[in-house]
Amino acid sequence: MHEVSLVRNIFSTLEAEFSEAELQKLTGIDLKIGLLSNVEPMLMQNAFEAVTTAENKFQEVKLHIELIPIEIFCDTCGQASPVENYKFVCQSCSQPNNNIVKGLELLIHRVHFSES
Amino acid sequence: MEKTLKSNRAARGTVPCDNTTMNLLKANDFMAEGIRKRMAEQHMLLINITSSPGSGKTTLLQETARRIGHQINMKVLVGDLETERDAERLRSVGLDALQIVTGGICHLEAQMIWQGMEALNLEGADLLIIENVGNLVCPAAFDLGEDYRVTLLATTEGDDKPKKYPRMFLTSELMLISKADLLPYLPFSVEAAVQDARDINPDIEILQLSSTNGTGIDAWCDWLLEKVSEKKAASVLNAS
Repeated sequence: MHEVSLVRNIFSTLEAEFSEAELQKLTGIDLKIGLLSNVEPMLMQNAFEAVTTAENKFQEVKLHIELIPIEIFCDTCGQASPVENYKFVCQSCSQPNNNIVKGLELLIHRVHFSES
Repeated sequence: MEKTLKSNRAARGTVPCDNTTMNLLKANDFMAEGIRKRMAEQHMLLINITSSPGSGKTTLLQETARRIGHQINMKVLVGDLETERDAERLRSVGLDALQIVTGGICHLEAQMIWQGMEALNLEGADLLIIENVGNLVCPAAFDLGEDYRVTLLATTEGDDKPKKYPRMFLTSELMLISKADLLPYLPFSVEAAVQDARDINPDIEILQLSSTNGTGIDAWCDWLLEKVSEKKAASVLNAS
């Protein structure tokens, strides 16, 4: 996908929300990446390393990626089911369903700062 | 309204971000909403056509213009990394087409469409077609404010593409199996492609066509004309 531009956008999002002094104390970023977001976690990590090195900032920051599996919600059964092998079927009533409630995420979930 | 990152908390320890969307998509989705609103006001249908490179998007649009170009006022925005070639091909059949050269970007973003709409003369247009960059991965994640996403799957690509690129087929309303005239010569199972696409997206409509021998072109044009009239009839409130 376009992991490098996504990494730059993580930075611009954080820079818009925190001051430079605050970001000096940044130690970690937690992302939530849905399986359907077309973002590959390993490439994201590599892109993060490449951009932090190239731009000489946030080099000590750890990027943590939580991969979110796909989940659908069936209105008929009132039940959520996981999607395996991209088969979008309610596991309760076996009806086809693509009411996706999880798996499309591309989110900054949490950031960590040093305690001092 | 989404909460912003900036909280009253000190930047110390762990700070929850209320699942803040990464900027890139937030900006895109904002522009996409703007496009959707504008198209609803003008009762103009917006179609986003995606596929792998070389699956016949431009050829299909040329054929579409020949068939129904006199019936409706259609315009095209076409995206590629380089060259003006596709827009030239579309203009050669009388279409008003504008090339968006992305210069290395692997997809079109809503901002580019907005700018393209400013540059095209959309006065009186019934239909705006976006021919996306040939790529089944990245364009899937970018909402362009379209009414319908149409994805071509050429028989020469193999029938396994829906399973390999699920998000694109998941977000498409119509799958066109293109180059159907080559089916006798290729190990492509229409049944398998249809089954895989429906596993991912039970609601997806599927048509087979060939721009070379004309198979299925009428069905495609009818689909398009029907959607154009539905959009014309839709009230702005319903459409937005």
